[in-house]
Amino acid sequence: MSSAVLRRFSYRYPRAGGWALDHVDLDLNPGLTLITGDSGSGKSSLLRVLNGLVPHFHGGVVSGEARVAGSDVLRTSTRDLARTVGFLFQDAEMHSVYATVERDIAFGLENFGMARTEMIARVESAMDQMQITVLRDRAIATLSGGERQRVALAGLLAMRPSMLVLDEPLAQLDTETAEPLVDIVGRMAAGGTTVVVAEHRLDGLMPRADRVLGIDGGRIRAAEMASRWGSDDGGGRRSASRAHSASSNGDSAWSLIGATVGVGSHPVLHSVDIAAPRGSVTVLMGPNGSGKTTLLRTLAGLLPPLAGSVRRTAGRIAYLPQNPSALLHRPTVRSEVELTLRRAGDAEPADAILGELGLVDVAGSYPRDLSTGQRQRAAIAAVLAGAPNLALLDEPTRGMDGAAREALLRLVRRIVEHSGTVVLATHDADLATAAGDRILRLEHGTVRDTHLASAVEPARMQR
Amino acid sequence: MTVKPSRDRGPMNARACALWCASALAVSLSAGNPLYRALVILVALNVLFSLKRPDVRLGPLLTALAVAGFTATALTVLVSHTGRHVLATLPEAIPAIGGALTAEALAFGVASGLGIAAAVLCVAPLSQVLEAHEVVDALPRATARVGAALGTALNLIPGVGRSAREIRDAQRMRGWEPKRLRGWSEVAVPVMLTAVEDSVRLAEAMEARGYGAGHRTHYAIPRWRAADIAVAAMSVAAATAFVALRATGENSDWFPFPDLTVPQVSVIGVLACLVLMAPAVIWRR
Repeated sequence: MSSAVLRRFSYRYPRAGGWALDHVDLDLNPGLTLITGDSGSGKSSLLRVLNGLVPHFHGGVVSGEARVAGSDVLRTSTRDLARTVGFLFQDAEMHSVYATVERDIAFGLENFGMARTEMIARVESAMDQMQITVLRDRAIATLSGGERQRVALAGLLAMRPSMLVLDEPLAQLDTETAEPLVDIVGRMAAGGTTVVVAEHRLDGLMPRADRVLGIDGGRIRAAEMASRWGSDDGGGRRSASRAHSASSNGDSAWSLIGATVGVGSHPVLHSVDIAAPRGSVTVLMGPNGSGKTTLLRTLAGLLPPLAGSVRRTAGRIAYLPQNPSALLHRPTVRSEVELTLRRAGDAEPADAILGELGLVDVAGSYPRDLSTGQRQRAAIAAVLAGAPNLALLDEPTRGMDGAAREALLRLVRRIVEHSGTVVLATHDADLATAAGDRILRLEHGTVRDTHLASAVEPARMQR
Repeated sequence: MTVKPSRDRGPMNARACALWCASALAVSLSAGNPLYRALVILVALNVLFSLKRPDVRLGPLLTALAVAGFTATALTVLVSHTGRHVLATLPEAIPAIGGALTAEALAFGVASGLGIAAAVLCVAPLSQVLEAHEVVDALPRATARVGAALGTALNLIPGVGRSAREIRDAQRMRGWEPKRLRGWSEVAVPVMLTAVEDSVRLAEAMEARGYGAGHRTHYAIPRWRAADIAVAAMSVAAATAFVALRATGENSDWFPFPDLTVPQVSVIGVLACLVLMAPAVIWRR
């Protein structure tokens, strides 16, 4: 018998115009099932059906049939489905309910009234499985993204679910921290657990997948292998910025001179000497917590250097924070873009960048009603509209599909062609090779200036 | 008795801590005398500085209390024109605050300010010494679900501060000027929306992890050690003695009106306050 069965299942969110899921027929079996699709295609909605959050938590209109582990989803509450379905949210930070690691892992077990001795045994086993025993007493707020993801997964494993549902578990992880997670997911699937993963980053997961499903406009389509973005003509793309870089007059767009950067009185990077010419694209790479965001914030002028100095080109600085919601406060996506253009005194129509990023259809929507990937694109549109002189982008491809990444790359190229300069922090090796003129590797408090190939190859080899 | 630093042997038992808070609060509320209130403040500060969690900064709390105390004092001086010792006189034409500003009103205002500070500092260990989950674990079984919801809500608070900083930075980079008061809506609105979104997402996560599925059990059971029992017993004894003094008229209320007098204290009353210092003595780092 299948672990989950959907028959002609349709779902529409409250006050939404269209169907998020449209006559879905699906059988899920033990093993690893990958679900691919563009932002807003219905991936997260489909996953939420499997533990009943759709429709029980979100409300809306539903038709058809959905059964998970023999239970009728429409008649079984999410809290009861939680006994058999472990659900990992896209944002691991919001998965944590309690403040410390050990207590948070035990939260689900407490909810099911488990005896204390059994709880202790299960929490120990889950921490051991996820190799986080040393983190037992740590406050979750002090953990890196990868550590948080492992704690969240340990909380699910402790409940010993027969089905694991993971919503973009790799979106915020660097290659080094993603690899162990992929291993664990693969082992669980091989051991007979039904594992369903929605993900844009498929490289590591694809070889372990038993099945790949595509979803588009709320409809399941034939399985297909998603092509890795940027691998087809990346060299050609790069040439534009490189050619411009070569012809630039060599003036520094930004420089750090003997700069020690950090937060408060805690240095993160020591005595950094780097400069980047106008029209260049610099990529910051390194593990979670290595100082990428701190360096970007220092370049933006949001943090003063603890020692040394920072110089940057005159003109407008566009800054994309890691959390796109930090930017979005206007009633529509279009008005977010118009605000930026008005303040920058730029006459460019808002529709230009909205079209570029595929946001015309949702231009009149409230930004916070969009999917994660669409929200990220809206934030990018809001900061890159017009012609910024220096663009500082923190994890710009978070939750974005291939088409959106292509659009981002075009925008980066356009900024460079207008003598703008780009610095982007990313875990995404494909983006780094496709967009970067130069990669700075941040590790152990230092910045290593590397040639493009040598910086990226080690990361690729670990995949 | 060998006393080890608190973090080497686990934190103070949450129920013992709650008993201390309740006892100290009972003393501070029944002390109608600024000298007792000042003594309770010193004792509570000693306990807080000795037992506070390593990640806690007391600065913001103390600043807020200083502002509240000063405001209470200033308002009393400005609106109460009673007393024989006139310090200054505001023109009668000024509505509400015009008239004599007296030393008696100043003394009463200071006493009120001390009362506010003492009451808040007495319950501050619940948030500054204990972790949210320790408070939740200490709640009676009948309140387990409410307690879990309370604990998770408390966890959202640090996130609001973090997102406020992120949002302010992001808006500054889009040309937002923090000078105009009206412009602050560009930060306040997203901070509020983000807090609401985070709450909804947290509720979703709790639901997905089975919250509300039935009877809840506790992963951690707060253990009572000898030191916890000693603190609980001493705290309850101190509060009982202090309240008894008040009931028997030994400790009477102090009023500076119509003439300023020196507040009187009793030896037993002072000793009862000093006994509340027990956690600081036992758990001193």
